[in-house]
Amino acid sequence: MTGSRAIRLVAEREIRERLRSKVFLASTIVLLALVGGSVALQGALSKRETYRVAVVAPAPPGLAAALERAAEPFDDAKVELRVVVSPAAGRQALDSKEVDALLLLGADRLMFRSNVDDKAAAVAETAARELRHRLPPEPELQVATLQPADDETTDAEVLVAYAGSILLLMSLAVYGQWVVTGVVEERSNRVVELILSAVHPRDLLAGKVIGIGLLGLAQLALVAGLASALLVTGAFDAPRSLGGDVALVIPWFALGFALYSVAYAAAGALASRQQNADTAGQPVTYALLAVYFGGYVALSSDPTGPLATLLTVFPVSAPLVLPARSALVGVPFWEHALALVLVLGSVYALVRFAGRVYAHGLLRGGPGLGVRAAWRLARDP
Amino acid sequence: MFSLVEAHKRFGSVEALAGCSIEIERGHVLGFLGPNGAGKTTTMRAIFGLVELDSGHVLWDGRPVGAEERLRFGYMPEERGLYPRMRVADQLAYFGCLHGLGGGTARRAAASWLERLGLADRAEAKVEELSHGNQQRVQLAAALVHEPELLVLDEPFAGLDPVAVQTLADVLRAEAARGAAVLFSSHQLELVEDVCEDVAIIERGRIVAAGNLDALRRSSRRRRIAMRLEGAPEDWLPLVDGVELVGRSNGDLHLLARQDVDPELVLESAEQSARVVEFSYGPPSLSELFLELVER
Repeated sequence: MTGSRAIRLVAEREIRERLRSKVFLASTIVLLALVGGSVALQGALSKRETYRVAVVAPAPPGLAAALERAAEPFDDAKVELRVVVSPAAGRQALDSKEVDALLLLGADRLMFRSNVDDKAAAVAETAARELRHRLPPEPELQVATLQPADDETTDAEVLVAYAGSILLLMSLAVYGQWVVTGVVEERSNRVVELILSAVHPRDLLAGKVIGIGLLGLAQLALVAGLASALLVTGAFDAPRSLGGDVALVIPWFALGFALYSVAYAAAGALASRQQNADTAGQPVTYALLAVYFGGYVALSSDPTGPLATLLTVFPVSAPLVLPARSALVGVPFWEHALALVLVLGSVYALVRFAGRVYAHGLLRGGPGLGVRAAWRLARDP
Repeated sequence: MFSLVEAHKRFGSVEALAGCSIEIERGHVLGFLGPNGAGKTTTMRAIFGLVELDSGHVLWDGRPVGAEERLRFGYMPEERGLYPRMRVADQLAYFGCLHGLGGGTARRAAASWLERLGLADRAEAKVEELSHGNQQRVQLAAALVHEPELLVLDEPFAGLDPVAVQTLADVLRAEAARGAAVLFSSHQLELVEDVCEDVAIIERGRIVAAGNLDALRRSSRRRRIAMRLEGAPEDWLPLVDGVELVGRSNGDLHLLARQDVDPELVLESAEQSARVVEFSYGPPSLSELFLELVER
């Protein structure tokens, strides 16, 4: 039998038996419900938005009412109209954040501070048209900003970044733990001796990791896919481009899982027979947590700084940090490429190392094996 | 034909195998005997590559055994183990597939073995729901499901009730009749005498005797004498050189004599002091032979 056939059989068994356990289906439904529910929750909780618009005196009669009417289609937003004495005074109010937009009807201009708010612009445009009884397509107002646009990170981006990396962390830890449990159980109920009489340890490792990984990927793809689709269709009050950043979680789960699950499998094989699966996987879980918090600190202090950049491409941290940083500030192409190459290289090296450790660990009864002994084992078989 | 040639394996300071060689013909059952720690399990694990030999060869029809050949071997390890939460039929089919059977063939083979071992009604049960005895049967089926050419069973009779022992003995004979080479280890020597024609006895990692069981017994330097005496003194012993007492109970005497001792002398000596009701003379039993060979 070829290795790939054995790998497929092992992976199929992992998937079939775990799908039967109902835990997987239940957790998938709960996660989907959470994502779907958050849309409903956001709708229920979002407060009515208020646009503060300044206009130079004298304000044309009916402007306030026209603005109110124009804002109605936008989730019943409110418009607070403020009359300023001169354009200069208006600019000052805009600059000092007392108002969000300055409407200069004489010059057919609508000014924002630094970033154009599309909804506010649409409201002002509609109101101006109504006052002047004009019809599209000619735009009434020229939109401009007081300052050049800034790259300020929006709340939605922060939310996507951190929710995405928590989702990744949890998925890697949960599915990694499945791998450890599987390995430890096969050893403790001794079926591994029978399996290994027909299957190469390397193929057993690969099949297990691939089977559990595919399940994890399917679950994550469903959840992140739903979130991403909801973002793209505008169900969330967030930039639609974030849908892509959420979708980025899926391939990086696959890469991260390839890296961490192999480490988890080796940890399981090295544990003593009596040791339970929870403690066996701990070293790898701690590494994951350390990387997560390191990434969190680096990204929240300076997402464009050298530490954040380093953690984006460093293979151990890339799977958690890269998607988050991409949502926050964007990641240049070369960093994506470098991280990908480094992670794939690390997976290759780890599979070789862990494959040996796994083989020796599984076939050896008795006590657990120290890291140093494992390293020796892997170097000179 | 299966052969293990000059196998050596050292675990630290312990020499587990010291030039162990065995051969099994197709259609034969070889009983593999030896005291605890003599190297039986290590030998069996080495056949499946679960122990990497320091030197020596594992051959099938004279060719080195690799992963491909091992798929045609069946193994029942000393430490029994199955997936406890997997269904019985699924599990057997899985092991069949791992040994190269197609999905449909594996399922049919699993069903037929379950039928044969009287477990057909438990096919959909999880292994952990079965009694210990039934789990043992599933374990046996896992070794057999792919019709192996070589069947290796480590202590298959341990812990079985008399009915299960009979079933297993029948299965082993039937497997040999099908053309498989069968190797099994056991401490139940009467059973081995019952099931096998050939035995190999291992001691300290070396085979000390191997071959046809009857021939081995006949080649022993000792002979077994059993007598039943009436009216003999409690401590009566034959006054013949080269005869030693093995056991005595209620007038039954069990002796071992050197091969060159004339049994007539023993009988005459007995008749002088008691009435001899029964007298038998012949090659030693397997257990006597075993004790003779592994005396330390």
